[in-house]
Amino acid sequence: MATERSGSPSTADPAFVTAGPRSAAPGRVGRRGGILGFIVRRLLLGLLVLFLVSIVVFAATQALPGDPARAILGRTATPASLAALREQLHLNEPVVQQYFTWITGLLHGDLGTSLAAQVPVTTLLAGRLLNTAFLVLCAGLISIPLSIAIGSYAALRRDRAFDVGTSVGTLLFAALPEFVVGVTLVVLFATTVLHVLPAISLIPPGTKPWTQPKEMILPTLTLVLAVTPYVSRIMRASMIEVLESDYVEMARLKGLPERIVIRRHALPNALGPTFQVIAINLAYLAGGVIVVEYIFNYAGIGGALRDAVSTRDLPVVQALAMLIATLYVVLNLLADIATILVTPRLRTRL
Amino acid sequence: MAENRIPPEDGTGGATISRREFLARAGYLAGGVMIAGGLAACSSGQGTSPTPSGGGSVGAPKRGGNFRLGVTGGGSSDIIDGQTIVTKPDQARLVAGFETLLVYDENYKLTNDGLAEAVTQDAPDKWTILLKKGIEFQNGKTISSDDVIYSLQRILSAKEGLFGAAGLASIDPNNITKVDATTVQLNLKQADSTIGDQLGQYYNGMVPTGYSRKGQQIGTGPYKVQSFTPGQQSVHVRNPNYWRSGQPYFDQVTIIDFPDPSAQVNALLSGQLDAITDIPFAQINVATAHGGLAILESQGAGWLPLCMAIDAEPFTDVRVREAFRLMANRPQIVEQVLSGHGRVANDLYSPFDPCYATDFPQREQDIPQAMSLLKAAGKEGLTVDLHTTPGAAGMVDEAKVFAEQCKAAGVTVNVKVDQNYYGDQYLKLPFSVDFWGTRNYLPQVANGSLPTAPYNECHWPPKDSNYLSLYKQALAEVDPDKRCSIIHEMQQLEYNEGGYIIPFFNNLVDSYSSKVQGFNPSKATLNLDSFGHGYRTIWFA
Repeated sequence: MATERSGSPSTADPAFVTAGPRSAAPGRVGRRGGILGFIVRRLLLGLLVLFLVSIVVFAATQALPGDPARAILGRTATPASLAALREQLHLNEPVVQQYFTWITGLLHGDLGTSLAAQVPVTTLLAGRLLNTAFLVLCAGLISIPLSIAIGSYAALRRDRAFDVGTSVGTLLFAALPEFVVGVTLVVLFATTVLHVLPAISLIPPGTKPWTQPKEMILPTLTLVLAVTPYVSRIMRASMIEVLESDYVEMARLKGLPERIVIRRHALPNALGPTFQVIAINLAYLAGGVIVVEYIFNYAGIGGALRDAVSTRDLPVVQALAMLIATLYVVLNLLADIATILVTPRLRTRL
Repeated sequence: MAENRIPPEDGTGGATISRREFLARAGYLAGGVMIAGGLAACSSGQGTSPTPSGGGSVGAPKRGGNFRLGVTGGGSSDIIDGQTIVTKPDQARLVAGFETLLVYDENYKLTNDGLAEAVTQDAPDKWTILLKKGIEFQNGKTISSDDVIYSLQRILSAKEGLFGAAGLASIDPNNITKVDATTVQLNLKQADSTIGDQLGQYYNGMVPTGYSRKGQQIGTGPYKVQSFTPGQQSVHVRNPNYWRSGQPYFDQVTIIDFPDPSAQVNALLSGQLDAITDIPFAQINVATAHGGLAILESQGAGWLPLCMAIDAEPFTDVRVREAFRLMANRPQIVEQVLSGHGRVANDLYSPFDPCYATDFPQREQDIPQAMSLLKAAGKEGLTVDLHTTPGAAGMVDEAKVFAEQCKAAGVTVNVKVDQNYYGDQYLKLPFSVDFWGTRNYLPQVANGSLPTAPYNECHWPPKDSNYLSLYKQALAEVDPDKRCSIIHEMQQLEYNEGGYIIPFFNNLVDSYSSKVQGFNPSKATLNLDSFGHGYRTIWFA
């Protein structure tokens, strides 16, 4: 999955030879400003990506050929309702101006008004956003340390029982779609075998998800089982590579205790590539959580997106698409920074 | 995907957008004469009438508990309004808080068990409503003539865009007179004997003067709205002032939206819900095997016609229409499209209407006869396109099963599935599938079988037919028996020469926990015994 990333830190840099800050020494082309300069460059690149995404989102929703107002209203359209909707969506203006009206609102935190619910998009999504964020956070807090531990230990116990066992296990779960995992968990713990957990996760509107711990267990577990296999397999591969490297061998030859070798030398270097996979998986969680929310009837943004697409609620679809894109960009940035901080080789090159 | 929007009468399960009802407002022709002289109605001509199983009603009703209901569909477009709905959960919420002047009983017969003591037709164009005395709204205000007038005027207001407007269109909103505190006189723009019928439709609820959707939700119903989040859930609490003594029994009713029917079934299996609407047919066995769950199967009157346009080739020849009707194996369609949860139909609609004709021979598949008719018409080895769309559940399946059945007669039916079906080609196609909900005969004719009907898929009636004049006679006829015989003639014409192939009427299949008592199968528009008559005839054992 690491290959899906938009670019590693070193390959992204040349794009900012001219756009980067001017403070750095002239001799070190593309490596200006140290870690801060790097973050600024990456931020600007992220903004560029978001700008391009916004054009794509806008083009795919509002600027499509045909009349979106007619598409939204379908057979229920009357001349009056068509005119009102065109007005609301600014469809009478030139496309470029429509885009700028939309993007300006977006930049001012005005996501528009939901066509289906007739309330501001922010009002509609606030509670759901919190629910999804909490679910992703729970899944992340459990799966990340767990998968790093599993991957590292499997690498250390390479080809022994634990390694073989977790390899088979992670391969199995990586191959199973969340849908299958989620439904199986429901059958096991809620409806058929045992009756110990709720089959669906109802967070009554107005209550916070952390006040309903029992409802959180199955959706969190489903996401953990979806993410952990990828991350732990990458961690294992990365750790094995590091353990076979010259510097680890040197550290061992120098007589350092194995504990120190692993903690000081092997682990930080192995974490670098893993961070990238974690970032991708977290971003994936935020978007892919749709399936899990569907299975458990969990009131999150996944459900809102599904609903908005079905009712052709353009402002909500646009807002959620931008939100998920932003999350991808931010998580990638954080992963790059974390990678650089744990990898001395990269840190010193900046 | 617009499956979460449904017309109010629709009972086809995962039904679809309310295109028809919205447009119906513009082009609706004054209903028809159905109930004359108050509630007198023809004797039921139904072949089968639901027999209450009695399984639900043992022991005396008990008070208390939170009834949790999962309803299929819903989304951020959910509303609570005493006089209209957008999604299926809206139906479930409306009936908790609002009531109508007249009500349909479990055999789909109109009764004065509602807010009105009597509703009488004094002259062909004059109706009088007499309210029951002392019924209070949830805020303690007694319902009066003023509230009835406000409610009717709100329904008829074009600005509000409510479902009931089409059916009540013959009422002149500016000519509704208050006779006294509990008596209202309706002066119609034209003779219309279907007013009583319309006043029993669940979406024509009575609201207090000044009511608006955005304001306080106050009705006369058994439960008050406590909280409501569109697309998620609503909580309704017991109305302590409720006018029917002893009812309702629950302290609270919680109505939860479910986009996914599997999650709905799982929640019922795990005890998180007490009842669900529209259990998927494939899951019925899971529920019955579970123990502690029961299935409630009620007769609905939803139908999915295959529509042959009688003025388009090859269907201009009545022999071709007859041949196509004879190619359909109806029991097989019921089995494959509804998993058996429906009743075979006979190319006629409105099975709950007291005048529904049951004396015509049941059409059955007759391939040799169909082939000889086609041969006589010079249309052997015909190839036609059948247009359909994933709108109401079953519309695509029905087309495919029918196409398969036609092969035996050497007829090739190409099924064309089009997502934009209702946007572009609808009503212009020679051969297409559509869906309809429960209506009595004359209102249905006004919607789908007249030159002026907004959704006349078959382009019925033929130009030289006396169908239209019969329809006008039926509208003007106030004697129920005479009206039925006119309607019978109209049905005869449609049975012989019409463009509809109507293979079945659907059933409503719901599931509930057996600790809930009081559910009975009924002929109904709404699921779960009309949601336990607004959650007041059901209780926890």
